[in-house]
Amino acid sequence: MKGLRWLAAGALAGALAVAGCGGSDDDEGTGAKAGGKVSGTVTTWIMDPGSPKLQEVFKGYAKDFEAKHAGTDVKIEFVPWAQAHDKFTTAIAGGKVPDVAEMGTTWTPEFADQGAFEAVPSSGSGEYVSSLVDAATLDDKVWGKPWYAGARALIYRKDVFKKAGIAEPPKTWDELKAAAAAIKQKGGGIYPIALNGLTEHYYLPTIWQAGGEIATQDGDSWKAAVDSPEAVQAIDYYTSFYKQGYTPKAAIGWEEPDAQEAFINGDIAMLIAGGWTYNSIIQTKPELKSKIGTALAPAGPSGKDTAFAGGSHLVVFKESKNTEAANAFVDFMLEPANLNKFTSEIGFLPGTVAGIKASGYLDDPVRKPFAEQLLDHSAVYPPSPRWGALEGANIFDGVIQNVMKGKETPEQAAQSLSEKMDQEFAG
Amino acid sequence: MSHGAATEAPAGRIGGPAIDAVGRALARLTLPVLLLLPALIIIVGLVGYPLAKTIWLSFTETRLGDLIDGSGEWVGLENYKEVFTDDHLRTSLVNTVVFGTACVVGTMVFGFAVALLLNQRLRGNVLFSVAVLLPWAVPALAASAIWRWLFDDRYGFVNWALVNIGFSSFRDYAWFADRESAYVAIFVTVVWQSFPFVALSLLAGLQTLPRETLHAAAVDGASAWQRFRLVTLPLLRPIVAVLVVFSTIWDFKIFDQIYVMATGVPERAADTAAVTAYRESFALGHYGVGAAVAVVLFAVLLVFSIVYVRMIGREARA
Repeated sequence: MKGLRWLAAGALAGALAVAGCGGSDDDEGTGAKAGGKVSGTVTTWIMDPGSPKLQEVFKGYAKDFEAKHAGTDVKIEFVPWAQAHDKFTTAIAGGKVPDVAEMGTTWTPEFADQGAFEAVPSSGSGEYVSSLVDAATLDDKVWGKPWYAGARALIYRKDVFKKAGIAEPPKTWDELKAAAAAIKQKGGGIYPIALNGLTEHYYLPTIWQAGGEIATQDGDSWKAAVDSPEAVQAIDYYTSFYKQGYTPKAAIGWEEPDAQEAFINGDIAMLIAGGWTYNSIIQTKPELKSKIGTALAPAGPSGKDTAFAGGSHLVVFKESKNTEAANAFVDFMLEPANLNKFTSEIGFLPGTVAGIKASGYLDDPVRKPFAEQLLDHSAVYPPSPRWGALEGANIFDGVIQNVMKGKETPEQAAQSLSEKMDQEFAG
Repeated sequence: MSHGAATEAPAGRIGGPAIDAVGRALARLTLPVLLLLPALIIIVGLVGYPLAKTIWLSFTETRLGDLIDGSGEWVGLENYKEVFTDDHLRTSLVNTVVFGTACVVGTMVFGFAVALLLNQRLRGNVLFSVAVLLPWAVPALAASAIWRWLFDDRYGFVNWALVNIGFSSFRDYAWFADRESAYVAIFVTVVWQSFPFVALSLLAGLQTLPRETLHAAAVDGASAWQRFRLVTLPLLRPIVAVLVVFSTIWDFKIFDQIYVMATGVPERAADTAAVTAYRESFALGHYGVGAAVAVVLFAVLLVFSIVYVRMIGREARA
């Protein structure tokens, strides 16, 4: 298995070298050097993993790469997720881009549409998780290499479940609601769950779970599909937890890290979380490890338990002054040995199918739900160039917050959401 | 020869002075212009160009891609129409004026109170004057993050203190879940940060007041409040006017505190114009609309500034 992945990486590196030669708008004219000696500075923006230990892993890549290629200088800068979209936009607008960056999968088409990235030659081998390649595709070209991915499942406090008399982790919406009610009553003052107002990766998948769609493609353009009865049902279900006091009042303004912190502090008993969040929690507070159980996301009335497959691509910026070294560093980070080090540390899964199977996740009962969720129970948001702006615009958050506060009914919310989405899709 | 030279000379003298005068005048002008030119270029480059570019952008439909290659479609007043018809954009402008004014009033009142206190001959006043400066020295972003924590629903000092002095409804009270309560928290932060400058400026003013006038008023039987209202305040009016102009400009374009503390307010209902201009541009990619918001904010500030400058002028003449 390991050999196979080496082979894949080799093939990819080879393909890249060819692309370096043949790129029509490659003004460097020195593509023949690709794969040979690289030098110079490679500025790399990585999303801040929020743990010093993981930051060390990334800094280790830089050191190892510099050691392997004398004359290179890799600068790693950490960018918090919450500010990253704004930061990329301002960087592109101001022409001050890094050479390499980790890019949230939903943002890749948006910035690619603006001509910010170098295209990646298609590997065509099916080695990558296909949904992640789809997420990086625009106009039949691939603009980023899948790095890692994950999907959010459910984690819960076993001790609180026991206290509240809940025997099995909830498998359906109804069971989740019943569990929340039991915890509210008998949990000893702990909030049942954090369903935030500012985390679309929590609430948007409930539309899939209800059997609906977020948007449908029509030729080159996308059209909102959230004015459906399924979406209304999903919004109603999600916001009911807040209305019934199963979620802290402040959570209406919470982002994902706030919910994670609340779970670490013992303020909430259940959390929608991916493997990376789980890792971060038990690293911050090891005594929680024995108390945490994991399960797949609860299924909606349609029987689907789909979660959002999120992750990152590695991209090389077109305006980079040093695309050769940048590409070499990307490939270096994608080498299986390096990939393994990183994904096992962070709690994500590699962006390759073989990598997931080799990761050992499927053999670990606690981590198995995270891997299963990604492989068989996940989907991606519409890969429209406008999706990043949709996220950035807080279109979803504002609507969900209004329903949480009772200012709008779920029907009104679905209607206005649909209109706002179509407005943004139209540009 | 000598004769010829003598006849030539007067002719030269007739035309000479006129040309010399123009030359001298030019020389007199050239040097100052030359000396001013570097500063002028820098000012035009740093202030004029961005301003002109923003105004131009506000009349166009510009996306990130257009921004890179400099294109952008001319749409006339379309963006301004959106600024005044779109709920969120209009709200942000109203927020700016209402909340900004509240902050100015709060800062001035609190600043005046502290200045009067520091003007008393109390032991340790020098120490207090230095201590008062400290909030001003804290970067706005750091101060906002700190105050956000102080107002945290579960672990914040404010809720803890309120519950402990008997207001038990503030247990787990979510300050940032509503526009009004969020504004209370942000108001405290802004006033806390901006009162030191006001207080110390007013203190400096208070210490220049002629003691005799105040004494005379006291002898004539004026109460402390009357002395303040009828003697101190009129004498300090020029300083107060300048401080109000400064505070208005600062508080109307307030960004950091809102950006850090108001992100979670439902529907971003507490955003002010500066934050909206930024978000409209860099989060949504609507650079034209963002620029229009910025231009409207600029116009509002210009009007306020002109009104205040006029007021100061009148005071000076009076």
